[in-house]
Amino acid sequence: MSLPLLFMDELKGFYKSKVMLFLWVGLPALSILLYFSALDTGGLSLSSMTAVVVGSIGGVLASVMLVVSMVGERERHVYDLFVIRPVKRRDIVLSKFSAVYLCVATAALLAFVVATLIEFAVDGSLPARFGDNALDFFVVSFSMMAISCSAGLLLGVASPSVLVGVILVIYGANQLSASVLLPVMSYSEERLFPLVPGIAISGALLLGAVVLFNRKQL
Amino acid sequence: MGGAGESIIEIDGVSKMYRAFRALDNVQFDVRRGEIFGYIGPNGAGKTTTIKIIVGLLKDFGGEVSIAGHSVRTDGVKVSQLLGYLPQQAAFQEWRTVDHALKTFGRLSGLQGPGLESRIKEVLDLIGILEFRHKKVNQLSGGTVQKVGMAQAILHSPEILVLDEPMAGLDPASRYMFKRLFEDICRKDGTTILFSSHILSDLEDIGDRIGILNGGKMMHIGTVDDLRSRMKVAKEIDLVLSRTPPQRPPIESIDGVEGVEQPEENRYSVHLRDGADADDVMDGLLRLLSKSGCRVRSASPVTPTLEQLYMRLLGGGEA
Repeated sequence: MSLPLLFMDELKGFYKSKVMLFLWVGLPALSILLYFSALDTGGLSLSSMTAVVVGSIGGVLASVMLVVSMVGERERHVYDLFVIRPVKRRDIVLSKFSAVYLCVATAALLAFVVATLIEFAVDGSLPARFGDNALDFFVVSFSMMAISCSAGLLLGVASPSVLVGVILVIYGANQLSASVLLPVMSYSEERLFPLVPGIAISGALLLGAVVLFNRKQL
Repeated sequence: MGGAGESIIEIDGVSKMYRAFRALDNVQFDVRRGEIFGYIGPNGAGKTTTIKIIVGLLKDFGGEVSIAGHSVRTDGVKVSQLLGYLPQQAAFQEWRTVDHALKTFGRLSGLQGPGLESRIKEVLDLIGILEFRHKKVNQLSGGTVQKVGMAQAILHSPEILVLDEPMAGLDPASRYMFKRLFEDICRKDGTTILFSSHILSDLEDIGDRIGILNGGKMMHIGTVDDLRSRMKVAKEIDLVLSRTPPQRPPIESIDGVEGVEQPEENRYSVHLRDGADADDVMDGLLRLLSKSGCRVRSASPVTPTLEQLYMRLLGGGEA
């Protein structure tokens, strides 16, 4: 079973990369920036607003990182030395997705904690609907990031060049991940609804990436 | 574990198309257990394609390839346990250190624990790059990365090593070290080695047999001596005189001599007839020269090099 080994390996590679360092610091900093920019959030709490922004920006950055990493490694034939060993090809792509997703999800969690601490410091107490806000945050941002990361993975496997992949992922993944917000707008009381497009779309994209990588001649 | 001399890699009627381009055309050969098999051919001949098929990187091909009786198409896991592979340019994820890369490949090949640690040290020491163990791969020169590639290929002590241009880009000292390494692991450990190269003298030095590929077709399989016999390249005696008399002695009259060329002043190429004994001709030649008052600086039989045979084979278009 090579998946756990490859996952830990990829995690070591990603968590200290420059993009991830930016996310570790940048996403929590974004929460503070959002608060002090005094945006009209249309009644959304800071943590809910942070969820949408973090989910979008974090997801896009992570997906770009995935495309750059996968296309570059494919072009340099890095995977040759893996696939000639008793390693399932699907483990290579799934380990990369899982590592990046875990990193970006942790960065988003940090951002949420910072946003909550700011609200607590300003108001002297947690927001009235803290539990609902927290759930909103996790459901929306994690779903958006899952879609972005899986789109990044698919384009990383399929794209003929880094440039094409990055352009497609910036436009495509961002638009696709926004589909998570549709149930929020239509069924605002059903807080878990964003998970439906989140899981369905990411699952389909991941499956596509695995099938394509299995068939691809490296 | 089979005996020495039996086929361990069998390539049976392998063809490969890249769109309309036929990269391999019904290629057929075998590599015997415990031998060093050199695979040569011009750029684009299909060497890398053959190697990628053998190691299981290309699945879409015609014909059959088996490794120790296991088909590369249907028994990939077993095949991958038997093989070590070094591509033309070994590449690693740039954030890895040499140690980290080797640990990952070692674990994926079934090594673990203290055994893996000591094996990594042993292999790096053998290849002469132990001091780079904790360096990041992106801080290493191209030649050193290729040596790390060699380290990962032999790390799990595979039965078969498949090496694609392993010495390209290496300095002469490193090439010498690689050749000695190949001989060591082949002769002492019984590892079978298939390697492609453009450096024909390297193949001639260490290859037991060679395969020459051109335009996707196999042109020759066998020893270099087989190729010499097949090409019927005439033997020669290279003769250098320190003083030439006004009238050259009639060397052509010696039994077994077909003709004489004079490439430069005082130097002669004496071409021998097919089947002539070089020692007899040499004896007759020296007697004649001595009788004619010539002073001989040197006289030595010349055996055509692999490079000369290769150029003749490809230039002649012989299939």
